[in-house]
Amino acid sequence: MSNDEPKSPPRRDFLGIAVGGSATVFAVAAGYPVARFIEPRTRPPSGPTVVGKVLEFPPGTVKSVMVDERPVLVVRAADGQFRAFSALCSHLQCVVGYAPERNQIECPCHRGVYSMDGQNIGGPPPRPLEELQVSVNEGAIIVSSVG
Amino acid sequence: MNAEQPRKRVREGWLSDRLGWGGISTALAKHRAPRRGFVFYLGGITLFLLLVQVLSGVLLVLYYKPDSTNAHASVERIVGEIPYGDLIRGVHVWASDFFVACLVAHLFTIVIRRSYKPPHELTWLSGLVSLVIGIGMAFTGAILPWSQKAYAQARVGSEIAHNIPLIGGWMHRLLRGGQEVTSNTLSNAYGFHVAVLPATVTLLVGLHLFFLSRKPAPVPVSEQVVDEEPGAQGEADAAKAPAAPVDDDDTIPLYPDFLYRQAVAWVGVLVAVLTLAIFADRPLGEAADPRLSSTGAQPPWYFLPFHQIIRSSPRELLGIDGAKFIVGATCFLGALVVALPFLDRKGSKLMAWAGWIVLFVLFLLATSALS
Repeated sequence: MSNDEPKSPPRRDFLGIAVGGSATVFAVAAGYPVARFIEPRTRPPSGPTVVGKVLEFPPGTVKSVMVDERPVLVVRAADGQFRAFSALCSHLQCVVGYAPERNQIECPCHRGVYSMDGQNIGGPPPRPLEELQVSVNEGAIIVSSVG
Repeated sequence: MNAEQPRKRVREGWLSDRLGWGGISTALAKHRAPRRGFVFYLGGITLFLLLVQVLSGVLLVLYYKPDSTNAHASVERIVGEIPYGDLIRGVHVWASDFFVACLVAHLFTIVIRRSYKPPHELTWLSGLVSLVIGIGMAFTGAILPWSQKAYAQARVGSEIAHNIPLIGGWMHRLLRGGQEVTSNTLSNAYGFHVAVLPATVTLLVGLHLFFLSRKPAPVPVSEQVVDEEPGAQGEADAAKAPAAPVDDDDTIPLYPDFLYRQAVAWVGVLVAVLTLAIFADRPLGEAADPRLSSTGAQPPWYFLPFHQIIRSSPRELLGIDGAKFIVGATCFLGALVVALPFLDRKGSKLMAWAGWIVLFVLFLLATSALS
């Protein structure tokens, strides 16, 4: 064999590069649909939800209801006005509850405290509770998930 | 000819011939393991506990129903109606606790013994990822009973994941199966718990053992000279240093001596798990009602130190949301731990002390979280 003959890469090297390259391309190509498949789709809010009748909420009542798969506190003040707050703590989303003995809303997980108008007044919660829209129509209480 | 002889012939002849056992046992006997020290058995015990969880988990899967309407009732049925169901669940739950405890103890012994230093980087990394996956298995498993406590853990756990820099939003949606904690969250936790995470951890443990076989555990720390300043000569010496114990007085063959001792440790752990499964009840709690306040929802013991930090944190730290800051800082510390073999190439004694101090602080935080 003459020394002047151009050197070509060995066949094994070429096959190695071809197989490795194909595997990489396939992994990248397969990765995108797999990532999209496991990424859950965001569902739009279902809209206003009827959570009960006015008669079920005498003044001074606090009840927990579900709106769009989220727990919500519906508060009827002594003057008869309705307010609704997301029952998810603004700290780490534990479900908060009404503490009647202290007349405040409390998060048991990390000792967060909110006033009855949803303001964060103690503990680690950085923000007030999210307030939702409430309306009354023909005796039905309607809560909208969009505040 | 007594009855034992044919059996012995099968064991040492037919089966041994087909398995090539002679070659395997000779190869295993060439590997040496430290003679003394319980810490050297922690890795094997962890692997054994993983097997116990897989076997008991396979049995539980036969009766468990992974949807929010039936999950709690199906676990109630397992512990209340199915013969030995409470025992199988008890073994699974206690083995899970022991598994995480052994993983954490294994991590700290590696740090304190400074066994992470080169050339053990790959063993270290595969072990650390296994630790994260192991804790993920425990976390997803805790969600499956869909009790009030499980629901709160799903909420808080996914919200903490939300605060992880860069991938938080994606992790949050993935863990919840959407924006909210719903039946999708339970289905996702089930899929991860019974398929994705066990498969991943099996692969990682295989790699961990492979890396360990290539670069065996280093000489016990008392026999090493590690206090000198790193330098070119020091690194060259380190490269020449034997990768495995060499003094026969301090080592035993991996097979049969070490593996037999390991088997004794496994029996001891199994007895402990069974005893706790029989005598120490793990109450299931009430079924999840998302409307109810998360009262009494304490995290599992291994999250107690983190829980205490989160609970005591101010609303803002350096102008950043308190929870976000703490999760970010934890991720940063985690990255430093991952990079330990690259940052501390000589394995300084300082890191051993840091390991003890961190362990002590975690213990204090956990106990104060319980008060």
